[in-house]
Amino acid sequence: MILALENDVLSYLSEVLGGDLIEAYRQRERRIFVRVKPAAVRKAVQALKSRYKTLRFMTLSAVDDGLDIEYLYHFSIDGIVLTLRSIKPKEDNTLESIADIIPAANFIEREISDLFGVKLVNHPQPEHGLVLTKDWPEDKRPLKRPFEGILPSKARPVAEALISSSCVAPISAFIQRKREEAGLPRSAPFAFTDEKALNEFQAIIRDTGFSEKAGFDWEKKRLRYK
Amino acid sequence: MVRYAFFMGCQIPMRLPSIEIAARKVFEKVGLEAVDLLGYSCCPEPVISRLLDEITALAISARNLTMAEEMGLNMMTLCNGCYETLAEANETLKHDLEKREKINRILKRYGREFKGNIEVKHVIEVLYEDVGLNKIKGNVVKPQRMRVALHYGCHLHREYKGPDIMRKPNMMREIAAQTGVEIVNYGLERLCCGYPSMQADEEFSLKNRLLLKLSRIRGSGADAIVTACPACMIQFEIGQVMLRSYGAQFNMPCINLMELLALSFGIPYQELRLELHRSPVLQLVQRMEAK
Repeated sequence: MILALENDVLSYLSEVLGGDLIEAYRQRERRIFVRVKPAAVRKAVQALKSRYKTLRFMTLSAVDDGLDIEYLYHFSIDGIVLTLRSIKPKEDNTLESIADIIPAANFIEREISDLFGVKLVNHPQPEHGLVLTKDWPEDKRPLKRPFEGILPSKARPVAEALISSSCVAPISAFIQRKREEAGLPRSAPFAFTDEKALNEFQAIIRDTGFSEKAGFDWEKKRLRYK
Repeated sequence: MVRYAFFMGCQIPMRLPSIEIAARKVFEKVGLEAVDLLGYSCCPEPVISRLLDEITALAISARNLTMAEEMGLNMMTLCNGCYETLAEANETLKHDLEKREKINRILKRYGREFKGNIEVKHVIEVLYEDVGLNKIKGNVVKPQRMRVALHYGCHLHREYKGPDIMRKPNMMREIAAQTGVEIVNYGLERLCCGYPSMQADEEFSLKNRLLLKLSRIRGSGADAIVTACPACMIQFEIGQVMLRSYGAQFNMPCINLMELLALSFGIPYQELRLELHRSPVLQLVQRMEAK
């Protein structure tokens, strides 16, 4: 009975969300997790509410890991606990409210907004001041961590150069000239001198999750933090 | 002719090309063919990448190793850090079948497979074992009359062939001795230069590592430091400049073993681009030539 319900929730969300579902798993009996893209949170909540009449919103928790904030929406459905997870980069400092679908989310969203300094979108009372005073400084939110990844500052240029160029010591024009004067090619035959080789190297870095761990932005070709 | 797949690493070709220039000239003199690895990447550097993700670090090493495997050649590194990373990855993947399977699943997507059929050697091992001291000595036409302090570099002590961690450092000492230099002992040969700790604590690295070494080396009467590691060279050269802000003045030349060999083989110093050094290597060599 319980297992059937757990499977039903997992397969239903998988069907409704399609490519917006990143991961869905049963951690143990009565405990299931579903990770979705941030833009699909409202769709998932709406779908759950329309299918499961006993759906109860328990609470929302948030975790700031430095570069991203993870939002965890906890629901109870007939004795099982479903946590809907969504990770949002801190460059986008907003949280889209679900209070219009789940009114009980109203206060906890405001509390998170106060403590983490995120801006609420489409919330009936988006202003700060539920658990902190209204004049609390914007840049001193109690649970907001500095915008930093796991690498210490001196290691950042090394990791950035490795991921973006396959080499940890970027070559200067001066050295290139000196190499040429000595009869050497302007650069050693690094992967970055050959598009195919660089693509292969960077695909390995992406596949293994290395660039994500380091906090690398592939569009801007640099770390997300200085 | 002895042939090796030549792994130069990042620092030497990109920041210290005088070492590459010297190495290639030395190889030519002793009949060692160094075949370039086309499309290679950082080994990867042994601290940050392994701490971030061991599997990725192994996969990057394995990609480099498969290039040499495809050539059917053993790999020779010019850098201590690259040696440790690649030799360790090679040993790990040869013996840890679970990790090897994991890495090969990644590499397979790019048409590669780690087979584990080559060896990784430091250039010092290649010169000692494949070329031999006699051949090296036979090429010495301009003995270097300087007093030098050897700095082996920590990673040179990494050993995969037995318990003797002084195997390669002793080889380095014997090779250096062929060039005519007088090797002075200063008692802190095995102390780290401080390069890795620069990542965490600059003051500690400079004052508790580099300053100790340099003070003892100066006290020994050495004209220069000879090292086999590009990272140590950067620490010795740039670190001396940084030490000035802590009130310590040094002007100690730091030369790579390949450059020392090239000079002793009679290669004109002008061809070695010694002016690229951040320590007075060029001035030392010119002074020695004038004697």
